Amino acid sequence: MTRFRKYMFYSMLIFYSVITVVPFIWSVSTSIKPSDEVYQSNLIPENPTAKAYATVFGKIQPNFQTLFANSLFIACVVVVLHLIFAALAGYAFARLRFPGRDALFFVVLGCMMVPDQLRLVPMYQLLVKMELINTGPTNYLAIFLVKAISAADVFLMRQYFLTIPKELEDAAKIDGAGPFQLFSKIMLPNAAPVLATIAIMTFQGTWNDLFWPSIVLQSPNHWTLPFGILQFKGQFSTDWPPIMALVVLSTIPILALYTFGQRYIINVQLASSVKG
Amino acid sequence: MQSSKKHSYRLSRKKSEILVGYGFISIPMALFLFLSVGIFFYAIYISTYDWGLIGPTENVGLDNYRRALSDPIFLKAIRNSLKYALLVVPIQSALGLFLALLVNSKIKGSKFFRSAFYFPSIASSAAITTLFIFLMAPDGVFNGMLKFFGVDVANLFNQGAWLSDSRTALYSIIGLNAWTTSGTMMLFYLANLQTVDSQYREAAITDGASRRQVFWYITMPLLKPAHFFVVTTGMIGALQLYDQAILAGGADGSPDYSLMTMVLYIYNACFRKFEFGYASAIGVILFVIIFSLTILQKFIFGSSAWRGEN
Repeated sequence: MTRFRKYMFYSMLIFYSVITVVPFIWSVSTSIKPSDEVYQSNLIPENPTAKAYATVFGKIQPNFQTLFANSLFIACVVVVLHLIFAALAGYAFARLRFPGRDALFFVVLGCMMVPDQLRLVPMYQLLVKMELINTGPTNYLAIFLVKAISAADVFLMRQYFLTIPKELEDAAKIDGAGPFQLFSKIMLPNAAPVLATIAIMTFQGTWNDLFWPSIVLQSPNHWTLPFGILQFKGQFSTDWPPIMALVVLSTIPILALYTFGQRYIINVQLASSVKG
Repeated sequence: MQSSKKHSYRLSRKKSEILVGYGFISIPMALFLFLSVGIFFYAIYISTYDWGLIGPTENVGLDNYRRALSDPIFLKAIRNSLKYALLVVPIQSALGLFLALLVNSKIKGSKFFRSAFYFPSIASSAAITTLFIFLMAPDGVFNGMLKFFGVDVANLFNQGAWLSDSRTALYSIIGLNAWTTSGTMMLFYLANLQTVDSQYREAAITDGASRRQVFWYITMPLLKPAHFFVVTTGMIGALQLYDQAILAGGADGSPDYSLMTMVLYIYNACFRKFEFGYASAIGVILFVIIFSLTILQKFIFGSSAWRGEN
């Protein structure tokens, strides 16, 4: 590489990193600015204050703790549901022989084509009939039902199980292991990377989702963080520091998850884009 | 003796496999049939009714569809969604490819740059869009920067009101989403680039091909699976634009319906006007548009990309 090319190269890399990272630094900076400094162009506040954080932890209704707990609760339940159903169905479609298997798998592929926006009206009607659109605790069941299963995860799981060598199972088969033991003792432990991938992607997707919570969740006590941001943005239209505090606080957990699970995120791209 | 024993052992093994198979897929399949297949047909059923808060009143056949196609606001929503998709998909794909090529070369710090470029893709759209609205406000950081570079913002055609001027609102959201999704697109391309055998490139260079020729005639065709994946998922995602539109423009897609999208229109029909039959018809139209575009892309890219082969 010539010297000039190298300079060009690095300046492009640095320029784009500035574009991707600086806005977030700005949100942190704004969240600790007093109101009169919000529109000033200084990145480091002259009089930093934690007032915005006191507001989101205490004064707003529902407060940050409630939004956080709801987001965490909903995301964790959805992750567990996706893992269980994807592992069971993925294994059956990849390794077990039973009549109608291929036809049923075709149905699963078809389910990937049904967009959430088409499901909106019939799903809502159904949830109303099931009396899950309410302000009580059963309202959570509505969101769990909507998000219970993902065809893409079943597909990903099946593709992964197909790549595990059959010899691994053969040894256990000779020892007399049945299909259930093969699944729990051989296949599941070997599928740890793809299970981690599904867990991380599902957690991120559910944590960040605005569409279904804004439709299904009725009581402010059930709001998730993104829904809370949408609501408070309307209420505090000009009072930016508390909104930015919510933006910062809602991004930290997902940033931590990403830092910790980075290699699994790259993994899923490989699995779904190249093998898919 | 021995062979019949073995035979019955195999039979019982086969039977138990069938039983476990059905056992494993029973709940997942029930959920798919209920939550996707059943719901799909229920959506079509609802779309043929005049269906308000009190439930269905009369079957109106295809009237909901006729009404949608003659509503200027819905036509505006379709135009906005298509305009948005046709602009954002090429931009985010090209940017994603460009970033992937940048960080794929053996350079110091490529890991850091990869993380930095992916960063906007991980936060929630609610958080990012809110941040964006703040940065793009008339007296916000973006205009401050323009002023710093000598742009007379106050005398710009939109007075620097990027999101509250109907001429620039949609383009601003296109910029926002090209920025947030390019990181994801970069990862798809990186995954594909890492499977591309470098011997093709080296052979071409040995034969005297220029950098540009290698890129257009070797690298680009080998990236076909990623092109297909990026364009298809990008298109589907783009046609479902909702979060950014409602955050920046409210339920009306303000200003002047410039941020009214198909999904936002469904939301309005459903939860502000309580016209569930009509809203469902719009959902079906959206599905038909997404479905036909996906099939069209399959033909454009050829069936090999569909299966993910080179």
